[in-house]
Amino acid sequence: MSFSFRRSFAITKRVFRGMRHDRRTVGLIVVAPLLSMFIFGIAFSGNVTNVDTVIVNLDEGYLAGRIISNLDEDTLDIRFADSEAKAVAEVENGDAWAAIVFPEGFTTNVLAKLEDGSFVGDTTIGVRADKSNVNIAAEVLRTVRDAMTQTISETGRESPVSIGDRPVYGEGVEFIDFFVPGIMAFAVFQLTTLLTLLSFVGERTSGTLERLRASPVRESEIVAGYAMAFGVIGMLQASLLLIVATLVFKITIVGNPFLAYIIVALLAVVSVSLGILLSSAAKREAQAVQFIPFIVLPTFLLAGIFWPVEAIPSILRPLSYLIPPSYAVEAMRSVILRGWGLGDIWIEIVALLGFALVFLVASVKSLQRATG
Amino acid sequence: MASDETRPAVETRRLVKKYGAFTAVDHLDLKIARGETYGLLGPNGSGKTTIVKMLCGLIKPTGGEAFVLGSNAGARSVAPRTGYMPQETALYLDLTVHDNMSLFGEIYGMSKTDIEREEASLLKFIDLERWRNSTVTNLSGGMRHRVSLACSLLHGPELLFLDEPTVGVDPELRASFWSYFDALRERGVTVVLTTHYMDEAHHCSRIGLLRDGQLIAEGSPREITESVGVESLEAAFLALARRGGGREL
Repeated sequence: MSFSFRRSFAITKRVFRGMRHDRRTVGLIVVAPLLSMFIFGIAFSGNVTNVDTVIVNLDEGYLAGRIISNLDEDTLDIRFADSEAKAVAEVENGDAWAAIVFPEGFTTNVLAKLEDGSFVGDTTIGVRADKSNVNIAAEVLRTVRDAMTQTISETGRESPVSIGDRPVYGEGVEFIDFFVPGIMAFAVFQLTTLLTLLSFVGERTSGTLERLRASPVRESEIVAGYAMAFGVIGMLQASLLLIVATLVFKITIVGNPFLAYIIVALLAVVSVSLGILLSSAAKREAQAVQFIPFIVLPTFLLAGIFWPVEAIPSILRPLSYLIPPSYAVEAMRSVILRGWGLGDIWIEIVALLGFALVFLVASVKSLQRATG
Repeated sequence: MASDETRPAVETRRLVKKYGAFTAVDHLDLKIARGETYGLLGPNGSGKTTIVKMLCGLIKPTGGEAFVLGSNAGARSVAPRTGYMPQETALYLDLTVHDNMSLFGEIYGMSKTDIEREEASLLKFIDLERWRNSTVTNLSGGMRHRVSLACSLLHGPELLFLDEPTVGVDPELRASFWSYFDALRERGVTVVLTTHYMDEAHHCSRIGLLRDGQLIAEGSPREITESVGVESLEAAFLALARRGGGREL
């Protein structure tokens, strides 16, 4: 008896028919990815604002005042103190994140130094920040640096060096644009693996898998049936995410979304077979639940969803390449943000196909009948 | 061994199943003719379910041979001609009765018309016509058992394996199950079932008494009780167990 699409399709229909009566799972499939996108999208894309800052301006000239007026008012909530000691005391007791001190003779010294590079005088803007929060401290320094650069340029003394920022890809791209392709892969991989894992533990414990294995249905038809169902579900999740991300977050889609769907479907096939494989190691649903951290955490941390794989320490980086979603995230980002085609992402596609093939064969083996 | 319609429905030769040092089935020789209702009778742990699972190809024997409808047990070509009702309810609880029956019908290659015809007839038999569109999770344990039986009968198998079909079933339903098994025998269907209820074995044309994976007696219920000189099968089993076996009567 050869592979039968009819039998396989019967299994696919079984998955969808089950969902008709299982609103919780349908809710999970629809709501979880959207919720992830909203929570992470909003949380990560937010800029640092309203940082309590105390400024001590001891400069008698105009330059410190100009720099202060050029400080980003959204980032810093500025108030003034008349001495460095008072300002630092505010940082020490937690009332402010940073104290910015302009020394006496600041304008005079800066102008003298601009005329004569060898001039020795205090031209340092003192920043005394609470670096217990590195993000906030870095933002204060960036704001001061930007204001300083802008003020110098207003005085008509441009730096002889400038940076010409003309992006090859990603013109106007913000964090949410970078993040959406990642969350698509994350949601599909995580939910599909978990739902298949739990479904198959259920199949094993309830006896339905035995009934199926005693019937004419082949193991490959069972796996293919599930893969087709979750491939379609994955594509629906991806569509939903793309629609909401476009309407709400106004994300940039440069490439062909259909190619993104193919990647998602391929990742769903990998996830289904991984879920089936893992189910063979769990005797009860309670045991299956113990696998969740092993599915979620490596994907969350190492697949390049929030930060690029290149930002992961080199000792851990090989692990990233062992995680299928890493390839899906990279491929989807390339398609959506760079507008790349199949010819440009073939390495990721081949890697995903390789994972799919290995996991499919192993999952079919794990279901195999005793003989025949 | 080539498929041969003249061969027994089920035949095992020196069939063995071991789990480590434990022998679940110990050199079992069985011959079940076509059209028989054969009961594998024995206490819990005597090897009944293991035998049925080996015959269905669900577990691999450690030794010996097993043939079903003339082919190796577990051969995929035999699967469409056999039916299997596991000990567990083995239904999709999140599907309706109709969806469960449709799924198993489609898997056995039945057309939509055939599925609907057989489903209507079986639902009438198990008296669950008005529950057709209810999800299985809303059915009582007895109802689920009936649906499980219907799913294994839907495709009209020649040979039916029923693993403890009457466990957890109320007396009224047990009686109706047995009347249906009798009807199947009249239609020429071979039924191989396991049970530990000695009192219901008289429905079988032949029974095999099992103890510790060994067949300690085989024959019709009357042959067994007469040969031991007791009134009931339970007494016969206890007497044979005390003697330590006796392969064939």
